[in-house]
Amino acid sequence: MRTPFNPARRMLMRAALSAGALGPLATLSFAGTSSPGSNRFVMVILRGGMDGLYAVPAVGDPEFAPARGALAQYASTPLPLDAMFALHPNLVQLHAMYGRGESSVVHAVGLPYHERSHFDAQQVLESGGTRPYELTSGWLGRALGAGPAKGLALSTTVPLVLRGPGIVDTWAPSTLPDPSADLVTRLERMYGSDPALATALARAKALHFDTTMMAEVNGAAAPTAGDAAARPGGFVALAQRAAEFLSQSSGPKVAVLELGGWDAHANEAAPNGATANNLRTLDAGLAALREGLLAGRVWRDTVVVVATEFGREVAINGTLGCDHGSGGAAFVLGGAIKGGRVLTDWPGLGRKDRFEGRDLRTTTDLRAVLKGVLGDHLRLSARSLDGDVFPGSDAVRAMAVMA
Amino acid sequence: MAAMMSDSTRTAAAIAAHRFGLGEASLDAIAGDPQGWLGAQIGPADSARGEGLLSTEQAVELVHAEAEKRRLARNPPPGTTAEQVLAGHYRETMLADARSRLVTASATRRPFAERLQLFWANHFTVSVTKGSTRGLVGAFERDAIRPHIAGSFETLLWSSTTHPAMLRYLDNHLSAGPHSRIVARAARRSQVMQEGPRVSGLNENLAREVLELHTLGVDGGYTQADVTAFAALLTGWRIGNGPGGDATAALPFDPAWHEPGRKTVLGRSYPEGAEALRRVVADLARHASTGRFIATKLARHFVADDPPTELVDRLATTYARSDGQLGEVYRELLRSREAWAPRPAKLKTPEEFVVSSARLLDLGERATARNPLASDIGASLAALGQRPHSPPSPAGWPDRAEDWLGPEAVWKRIEWAHRVGDRIGRSIDARALARASLGPLIGESSLQQIERAADGPQAVALLLMAPEFQRR
Repeated sequence: MRTPFNPARRMLMRAALSAGALGPLATLSFAGTSSPGSNRFVMVILRGGMDGLYAVPAVGDPEFAPARGALAQYASTPLPLDAMFALHPNLVQLHAMYGRGESSVVHAVGLPYHERSHFDAQQVLESGGTRPYELTSGWLGRALGAGPAKGLALSTTVPLVLRGPGIVDTWAPSTLPDPSADLVTRLERMYGSDPALATALARAKALHFDTTMMAEVNGAAAPTAGDAAARPGGFVALAQRAAEFLSQSSGPKVAVLELGGWDAHANEAAPNGATANNLRTLDAGLAALREGLLAGRVWRDTVVVVATEFGREVAINGTLGCDHGSGGAAFVLGGAIKGGRVLTDWPGLGRKDRFEGRDLRTTTDLRAVLKGVLGDHLRLSARSLDGDVFPGSDAVRAMAVMA
Repeated sequence: MAAMMSDSTRTAAAIAAHRFGLGEASLDAIAGDPQGWLGAQIGPADSARGEGLLSTEQAVELVHAEAEKRRLARNPPPGTTAEQVLAGHYRETMLADARSRLVTASATRRPFAERLQLFWANHFTVSVTKGSTRGLVGAFERDAIRPHIAGSFETLLWSSTTHPAMLRYLDNHLSAGPHSRIVARAARRSQVMQEGPRVSGLNENLAREVLELHTLGVDGGYTQADVTAFAALLTGWRIGNGPGGDATAALPFDPAWHEPGRKTVLGRSYPEGAEALRRVVADLARHASTGRFIATKLARHFVADDPPTELVDRLATTYARSDGQLGEVYRELLRSREAWAPRPAKLKTPEEFVVSSARLLDLGERATARNPLASDIGASLAALGQRPHSPPSPAGWPDRAEDWLGPEAVWKRIEWAHRVGDRIGRSIDARALARASLGPLIGESSLQQIERAADGPQAVALLLMAPEFQRR
């Protein structure tokens, strides 16, 4: 049975809190201390290895067409960025943002890790280390630290990138009825000896029972019918929700979205194949995020970074796709950036220019981009960036994406 | 009788039931000899229960029939639409497979064997999230995994790697030797047609994941050159997309797609032809990195997210000494002191939670009947974040608590427990059930909360969400 939210229910929860029955963790639920208008950051992780050369073709490089073969052929003309680069024709709205100076592309970007395992590369991407499993928390989690700014993952579990000492909420649409507040109170007593379950429950309760947050979320416009990506739980719907949460003055300041399915080993250029659909979904999701943040008047305070664990091999493989590579492309967008630029130290595509003769060579460390954003936008000190957030990255100079 | 058993035997019985099994409503049948109860289950997994289940051969025929339908839908016969031609696309098979997986686990009397089947099906992940694998995933579990879980790892690795579901999930059906006959033929044809060839060479997906995820592990000591050579060796192992693919051939191997010549993988040279794969599988199964990798994963699954090194060492030693006999490795695990620590270290996955709930509430035997819980158990799992047969990547579902402990994930478990309590809690004495099922493992604090519950439904929800039932 669904119990609609009512103030009486919140009173009940608060009464339980003041009775001191719930332990110190639960009191975090109502800590809404951040000032309005402070800066927002969204990290979008593309899992599976987005092919940077397919999403952002180097159309002006004479080596491009011969190196890519069938993957240099697009159903319609790629959308030009400058004399050298273009965007895949499905990235229409991202292209419009580029034209307005609200998005930039970083190319030949990658991790310090160059092996070709999805799972190790994602671990490095999210942990912010230089080798897999050298760090067990996430760079964004450490960047949030123990400060008041909250993080939010639009998923049922917390992705590694957000794990750390700080407060992280998760949110995903539910198809089950809300349990009663009474049951939750009793469970909190039961979890006295299980800190992990107690913490998870305290955070979930705050998200579900906090009036301001729920009222605004429930009042949001329904996703457009007929749009598969906008279905509840789809990337576009989650991007809309992220924008709503980020627009609240006491809501999270940092959000993480994920979009999987980029492992294009076969038939990558099919007009309605997985990669084409994923690019379309990514484009729609980023546009929905922008629209929601514009409506909440915080787009101008927001920076979004879109990155993947690795790019793919330059040459097409035997099945009209690409096998795992290293360097690729990332996107930076938001009202706060100086966009309309392709930021790259282009290595070229000739066989001798490639990493191990295969991959687009990584000439920009993704951490340079992230350090630039975290430093200039979230105001983290260089010391904290080189120390806690990206340990061992002293030699990686922050890239200026904001100005 | 319960009253006559010592507390330590009842503790061991509860650990056997919950940590190594899938939960039991009563410990009476186990408590005489918990170790013996588990040891007697070492062997092939039960046959899958349920109706509408296809053999691998039937599933391959279905894949061909669906491919034919898709071809037809591009040009629908007069009076029909593409939607009509495509109606029912794999839906019934996928539903029957998902239902069977959950019903079998909920009803089996050999839950340790079933846990091992679930473990290996996850180790050798195939997932319906990839279109090319649809229709084949249930048959993969039934034919490639269930019969082989307690034999040699080599047999299991062979049956997994050569199954059509795996060949398609990791793209090997598309991979062609660059100098194979099929590529030469395609190149000639494309010269005439003036278009690019449809097939032209290697796809490394299967080769890489067999090395990284199924055998050696990512740090197991292989290079990119090994991956490429192994991919060449694997060419030809495929079932085709449509009629003409030979479903009745003894092996799903097509020499026309195979790369000619010898290949060197991990320093060993292998001949051209289908036989090479059998030799590579034998060598990979005997590699020290494989034994260590399997030992670590088993210990992580049954004992702790970060398993004790001594336990992993012992399991790896047993693996090596027994030449990869999995039954011997399981026996060593059951003999290990670390595996019987009373405090449960592992959080159940959503699937383990839902299945053990069904067993606790005795819905297992009735799960095939018109039972409201059983009918939407698959939908429940989707809401809890673990849709049957849909792991997100070839690495399978994660096996660490932190991956399942997000606030929203725990919240969804509460919502689900709440609904189960609402539906059936009025007819159940949760207090008695807690003692009968968990024995000495249930703590005073949890018992007290269950006893003080507002009503029967709430007591059931509290029992399902008790730390002692969430963990194992």
